[in-house]
Amino acid sequence: MILNFALFRVMPGNPAQLMTPHKPGVSDYLYWRNVEKMGLNDSKTEQFGKYFYQTFTGNWGVSFTYERPVIEVMGDAMTWTVLLLGISSILTFMGGMVLGKIAAMRRGKTMDVSITGFGLFFYGMPIFWFGIVLMVIFVGELNLFPPALPITSGVKPFPLTLDKLWDITRHLVLPVTTLTVGSIAGIVLIMRNSLIDVLTEDYVTTAYAKGLTEKQVMKRHASPNARLPMVTTIAMDTAFILGGAFQVEWVFSYRGIGWETITAIDNKDYPMLQFIFFIGGVAVVIANLLADLILVKLDPRVEIT
Amino acid sequence: MFEKIGRAVFKHVSPILSDKAALWGKNAGRTGDLFFHTGLGKVGFAIIMFFVLVALFAQFAMPPAEGSVERRMLPSSEHFLGTDQDGKDIFSRIVHGTGASLTIGFVAMAISMGLGTVVGLASGYWGGWRDEVIMRINDVFLSIPWLVLMIVIAAILGSQSFGSVIVVIGVTGWSTTARIVRAQVLSIKERQFVERAKAIGSGDWHIIRRHIFPNVVPLIFANAILTIAISILSESTLSFLGLGPQNVETWGRILENAYDEGVALIPERSLFILVPGMCIVTVVLGFTFVGYAMDEVLNPKLRKR
Repeated sequence: MILNFALFRVMPGNPAQLMTPHKPGVSDYLYWRNVEKMGLNDSKTEQFGKYFYQTFTGNWGVSFTYERPVIEVMGDAMTWTVLLLGISSILTFMGGMVLGKIAAMRRGKTMDVSITGFGLFFYGMPIFWFGIVLMVIFVGELNLFPPALPITSGVKPFPLTLDKLWDITRHLVLPVTTLTVGSIAGIVLIMRNSLIDVLTEDYVTTAYAKGLTEKQVMKRHASPNARLPMVTTIAMDTAFILGGAFQVEWVFSYRGIGWETITAIDNKDYPMLQFIFFIGGVAVVIANLLADLILVKLDPRVEIT
Repeated sequence: MFEKIGRAVFKHVSPILSDKAALWGKNAGRTGDLFFHTGLGKVGFAIIMFFVLVALFAQFAMPPAEGSVERRMLPSSEHFLGTDQDGKDIFSRIVHGTGASLTIGFVAMAISMGLGTVVGLASGYWGGWRDEVIMRINDVFLSIPWLVLMIVIAAILGSQSFGSVIVVIGVTGWSTTARIVRAQVLSIKERQFVERAKAIGSGDWHIIRRHIFPNVVPLIFANAILTIAISILSESTLSFLGLGPQNVETWGRILENAYDEGVALIPERSLFILVPGMCIVTVVLGFTFVGYAMDEVLNPKLRKR
């Protein structure tokens, strides 16, 4: 079992490096003022020290582009991203497992071939491209509207009216579809392979010989065992899905974390980036931890090292 | 069919060269046979060959895209897919971009595999604390979402040139290979012939080179091919987000331009974005098929099914 809090220490390192070259194309005076303001004047070690301190006291600085505290900007963005990711993940995992199961059970038959075919097809597809394709197709319909909410400033999710709910849902349809379809392929393929492996094991044949129906065998013997490698894979896949989410957000101008990240990179908005990478790292560590814990619960053979 | 060729080679070559070389030829022949027996292998190989040929003969068949013609033209008989924002013929761009995209994918794979194999071999063979340390570092790389990682590395190393984008992609992808290689090394290390080799006093390097490495190669061969697919996808994603090479025409850049033009919302010009995307999907599919077929053939664990 891997408890990698070493990750914490790696994450701050990278953004610190990013902070080095920064030459805004403005007049000299402004430049030095900015430098002073952004604290770039201090020596590297001082900067790093400040960064550490600030991180732990919850002060993440002010975003360059937005001129608002990073936390504020990210707070909104995070809600949207969590929404997108949440719905999409659930659909992906459940759908993927179900489809994988069906494919494995009817191995070689039309159902399997078509499911696997789809899986392979979407596996190799750049998610952003798929999003664009969907955009092209649905241009006529209203689903196309860009992001989370119409930008009438100040229109916040709360208070939540039915109107707004409908609006949000409409905007979510395309991004969620893109992300789900793009991610499901991988899960389906792995689930299918995992299940096939399990089904060729001796104990499965024994179960059938004992007279159990297919449903019983699947439920009590095959599925539980197939699910084990799945969990580890899902944990590793979280990273993959996150990458997909970034692309989807950007394609659909969906103002979530991914979108903010890419915009921040374009604008060289370092405070934002620092925060994002930090959070990203934390999130992944937590996800892996969760996966490990789930694995321990599911598999009686595993112990915590 | 290949087996016959292989055997013929064997017969003629063995008197001249060492037995080993001849045997190698024969086995390669048999592998080729098995490989082409699989439907996937045939299709995948055909796809790859098609694009490779396109890449090789691009110069002769079509004039390279020049920014001379009218900008943003719609598809016509002269310009099959219209022209882009600089006046270059899109179809021509795609054709010429084939070589760039394929090369980037291939070389990036080489870097990835090289790094991964060396690290995996070293880690697996040494064992002990060195192994632990290396594996922790590896986990860090694996845990960070690949897109985030890639963006970070791109920011540090700069990805705006042909060479650097290759390095960036290569560096992002070594972790999986290292893991696989290490696992294999660990299992081989325990086998008897290694013990015997040590008993008679073979040096470490010798053991790795002549015993361990040859047993690792088949396993990573399939992995290598899949890595090419991922590299091509990575390049297109990087370019699409604006972080790609600025001096080379690749498919990813075509997509970048297309999206920036807002082509997704203009039905008449949508081919601008659809066709390069399809090319990417097809090529990646080709490599994926070949990779899977190779896996079936070369991976001893899969044979029993």
